[in-house]
This record gives sequence, C-alpha cells and structure tokens, in this order.
Amino acid sequence: MIRFEIKKVFSKPRNKAALLFLIVTLIIVSILTINNVRYVDENGDATTGITAAKHLRELKNQWAGYVKSDVLSKAIEENTAINNSKEALSDIVQEKDKAYAKKQGFSDIIEMISNAFVSFGEYDYYRADSVTTEEVSKAYEKRISNLQEWLDTGEEHFSDAEKDFLIGQYQNLETPFYYEYTDGWQALLQNISTVILILALIIGFFVSGIFSDEFQLKADSIFFSTKLGRNKAVRSKIRAGFLITTLTYIICVFLYSMIVLLLLGIDGASCPIQWSMWRSFYNVTYFQAYLLILLGGYVGTLFAMTVSMLVSAKTHSTVVAIMIPFILLCVFPFLSRIITLPQICSLFPDQLLEIFVILKDSGLYEIGGKVMGTIAIIIPAYLVPCIALQPLLYAVYRRAEIK
Amino acid sequence: MKLELSDLTKSFGDFTAVDHMNLTMTNGVYGLLGVNGAGKTTLMRMLCTLLRPTSGHITCNGKDIFKMDGEYRNLLGYLPQEFGFYPDFTVQDYLLYIATIKGIRPAVAKKRVKELISQVGLTKSSNKKMRKLSGGMKRRAGIAQAMLNNPHILILDEPTAGLDPNERIRFRNLISELSEERLVLLSTHIVSDIEYIANEIWLMSDGKIVRKGTSDEIINSMPEKVWKCFVEHSLVSAIMKRYKVSNMKSEPQGVALRIISSEKPFPEAVWVEPSLEDVFLYYFGEKVGE
Repeated sequence: MIRFEIKKVFSKPRNKAALLFLIVTLIIVSILTINNVRYVDENGDATTGITAAKHLRELKNQWAGYVKSDVLSKAIEENTAINNSKEALSDIVQEKDKAYAKKQGFSDIIEMISNAFVSFGEYDYYRADSVTTEEVSKAYEKRISNLQEWLDTGEEHFSDAEKDFLIGQYQNLETPFYYEYTDGWQALLQNISTVILILALIIGFFVSGIFSDEFQLKADSIFFSTKLGRNKAVRSKIRAGFLITTLTYIICVFLYSMIVLLLLGIDGASCPIQWSMWRSFYNVTYFQAYLLILLGGYVGTLFAMTVSMLVSAKTHSTVVAIMIPFILLCVFPFLSRIITLPQICSLFPDQLLEIFVILKDSGLYEIGGKVMGTIAIIIPAYLVPCIALQPLLYAVYRRAEIK
Repeated sequence: MKLELSDLTKSFGDFTAVDHMNLTMTNGVYGLLGVNGAGKTTLMRMLCTLLRPTSGHITCNGKDIFKMDGEYRNLLGYLPQEFGFYPDFTVQDYLLYIATIKGIRPAVAKKRVKELISQVGLTKSSNKKMRKLSGGMKRRAGIAQAMLNNPHILILDEPTAGLDPNERIRFRNLISELSEERLVLLSTHIVSDIEYIANEIWLMSDGKIVRKGTSDEIINSMPEKVWKCFVEHSLVSAIMKRYKVSNMKSEPQGVALRIISSEKPFPEAVWVEPSLEDVFLYYFGEKVGE
C-alpha cells in the first residue's frame, strides 16, 4: 500500500519536475561548495576547487597533531619570519600573496592565536603578528579568561547559573586542540543549511498532496468507501509521507556530503569546531556538529511536513499545504527581524535549519534550574510535536466526510 | 443481504437532502430515479459510509453500518457519480491500488484485476494511463474497481452519465451481468437505464421516496392517461401551458405530441400505453429542466 502511495507522489509530472529541480540544485550547490576552498600558490595566484583543496590539504596536514605550546610557538616564529620577508613587506599585492602562500599550512593556527589574544566579541586578523612566543602558550587559558572578563562587563544579561554554565563549557573543552586540514568540513557545514532548506521546501512539495489529492482528484469517494480506506490506508499515507521525507532527506544530504567530502577531503572530522568557531560553547567535533546540523534539519523538515500533511488532510487543499513549509521555514526568519525577542525568535522552526549558526551563538535557556544551549531545547521542542501530531493527522483524515 | 434504512435524515444547515427515509433492500437491482437535487447522491453517500446521517440508522443484516466500519465496507462496491482516479496510474496499477485498499491480498488481486480488465473490455488498454482513457473506458475502469472485492452490495451513482448511446447500452448490459445475487442500487435520471435493468424502481423527490414498485407497478400507478396527437406549430405553446407534454417531435406539417392528461385533450388524440418516461414527467414534470 505504501508503495502505491509513493508511486502516486512520484508519478505526478509536477513532482517529477520538482525532483529534477532538486537534483540540478544539488549539483549547483555542490559546485559552489567545492569552489569555496581557495589556495594561493607560490606565485601568488589563487585557485579554487578540487585542486586547491588537494594542495591545501597537503600543506595543512604537515601541521597535523595536537597543538601544544611548542606548535603555537613554531607557528608564531614562522609567521614572524614570513612577515619580515621581502614579499610580505612589498607593496605589490601579488608579492603579498606569495607571502600569504607560505602561511597557508598554519593559517588556521595563526587565526586561532589572533582570536585568543583579542577581547571576547572582537576580531583582529593581524593580532597574532604581535603575539610573542612566550605569550602564545597561554592561548587556551586566554579563551576562558576572555570569556570571564566579558561576562563581568555585564554587556549581556546572563544569570549566575548561565555564566557558570558558559565558563564550565569552556573549561570542559579538551585542550590542546587536535589539528588537521578541516576545509572540507568547513565548506560542507557552511552550505549544508541551504541544501537542507531547499530539500525541506521540495519535500513539502512532494508530500503536500498525499492527503488532499484524494479530494482534488475526486478519488475520495472510492478511497473512503473501501475496507481499509478509513484505517490502514490512512496509516499508509502517513507512513508514505514519513518515508518520502526521510529517504529524500537522507539520500540527498548523503549525496551532497559525499560529493563535497570526497572531493575536498574528509580529514578533520575529529577536530573541535572551535578551529572555525572559536567562541562556541558547544564542545563538539566537526563530525558531531555535522550530525547535529543534520538532526536539526531533519526535525525541521519533519515538522514542516507533519504540519503540511495535517493542513492537507484538514483543508483538502494541496495549494495551502504547499505553502506551509514555506511559511514555517522562510517567513519566520522575516518575523525574527520584526520581533525583537531573541529568546523566542531563536526557537522559531526555521532555526532548526540554522544549527550551524546556533553553534556559534551563545543563546542559553534556564529550565527548572538547569541551563542548556538552544540546540538542546529546539530539537526536542519540535520532535515531540512531530510525533504527537501523527495520531491527530490520522484522526482528522479518517473522519473525513464527502459532502 | 438486507439493508434497512430507519428514519434516515441528512440535513445541510436548513436544507434537508434526505428526509426521514424508511426502506428495506434485499438482493436485486433497485433503480433510484429522481431529478437533480432530489437527494440520490446524499443517500448513496450515506449508504457508502461517506456521510453520517443527521438522524436515523442504516443497518446491514441488523448491524449499524457505521459501527461495522471496515467489515461493512468489505461488502461494498461503489462507483460514484464523479468518478475520480489517479491520472498518472495505468489502468492496471489503478485497479491494483484499489484492490490493496480493499484489503485483497496481492496474489489474489493480480488475478482478480486481470479477470475484471478482461470482463470490462479493457485488456488492450490495461497499460494505458488513466488520463488517456475515453469517457466510456474510464467508466468501465470504474465499474471494475467497484467489482474488485466481489461485493454483496453494489452502489452505482449515475453510472451511464456522459456516455454515448453505444457505451450506455454496453454499460447497462455489463451492470445486468454483474448484478446477479447481489444488492444493486443504481441511481440515474436516465429513465431507460432503469427501465431495462431494475427489479424495483424508487422515485425520489425532495429527499423522500414518493413511489416505489416494479416498472409496471410504477407505470400503472399513474392516475392519468397518455395521449398522442399531431397539432399545428402555432398551438404548441398553448397546449404546453395547459398539459404536461412528455414528448414533442417537430415535423414539417406540424408537431407530434405526447400528452399526459386524465381527459382526452383533443378529439383526434389517440390513447397510448404509458412509459416510465411519462411517469417520470408526471411525478417530476414541474422540476424537469430546472
């Protein structure tokens, strides 16, 4: 029965066109993501894409390992030496690029030092240039002390429990950091939210007619007059919606991830995300962050689909149902700009597709004396309704009358 | 098989589509005849559990059909007036899907679908998409889906609507062929369809059965007589105001009329045997063409 429901969805010309659009979009986004990786060769010329990733990977992996004091000092020494080179001091951009080309292998480490030696909330790309080899050993401690200083300024209104939570998270982060080439993961995580949003909207297109099409096609009378039309057949529609959502999501995300990681490099999965999100209090690796982003995206997509199917079952209108994922995932971000209540806006359903942004954010919630980050709240907050709405969806559709 | 309607009423706001109806049906072909808006479709939808009555009950062998739920629908085959389908399914896929939601096991369904496709004459079109079928072929696919579970109760709402005369005759014969040992309720406003195949005819108006019986009983129930006459063109308008005219055929020399009247309308009028169409006009005349 589920097979036929899925066949109904994918036999429609409209959905075939949407599937084609999805495939083309995936290819375009994959190409754009791959071109995110940039490499500057010894002549100061920049290249992007697969070749750039290959060169960058070779250079960066020469620095692979735990970044202890000696590695930080070495990075400072090399950085200073390059800064004092003829190319770096030249006024010609091409020459400066040649100098930069020599820094690429440890540029992430230099950036991490720059982040460590500026106040919390500030950014100075050149700060590492003035850090000495003696100072640099305190980089990890600076991360915590900078946070502490920032919290003491009272710029943000955190409760004592929230402050303790943030400090605790910073202290719990394992140091020294493990380093590897992570550009493949960084490029993947940066663009995956776009892929998930497109996926959610197209999946919405697929499932929006599962319930209402029976009415639109006037096939409802026969459907509901059959033996299983008000029980098992309704359940099979719900299952088909779930399967289409889950399989389309998994297949597309897997394909996109595989294309990007296989072409840009899978290294760096076990590195902490603080390499590119220095202030994040989420102590997770790139791979764990990837899983969190996927989970958030999946729950968001599932929530939008569940509401869309419910509307489809209740209103019998495919057009209205198609609009639901769009409203939930595209209109809410605009509402966030109008409503100036970050505590509420960061729990809007569109945020499930923005876990990458949330990972950088310091949004906290205190519930029953327990402090937790937005991710710990938002995923269960939408997963529970996804499950709870299924019996309602079943009840609404099975009671439908043909007037 | 016994279906009983007790004090069955269905209202939509102030409008009562089916009005305190009491009926009993056993095996046989029942023809439901009435003008558009008489309540035929509403009655059939209630019999198919698509609509819940406002009051009253429908029982099948003594059990409430809404409480029987799937058990009742397992006995049911239904071809609605507006036969909707999945346009991008082939005939075979469409029937296999309906067989699945009728709870027929896949192996049995395949065999049954093949048999029915052959019986309704769609073998050559079985791999055609539903949207590419002609009106008559779609109706045949419709009757095939209704027959998939070999139903004890077959409900056909305007099954011949929109068909050309050849298709209609063919379809009528098909229904006759399928109606053995079942309870068949057939609704139409095409009088000849019912006349040929129904064992019992119900005339429905304003949500009520105003008369029921065999074709002969219904015809004999008409208290007025039917007259045939030939008049000049100029007299037609006045005659139509005064009498119920069940048929009118314009010819170069005048107009041949079929008039329903208890009195002889003209000295030259000839009394003729009434038909079911005359009876239909007699009972629903003022509403025809509304």
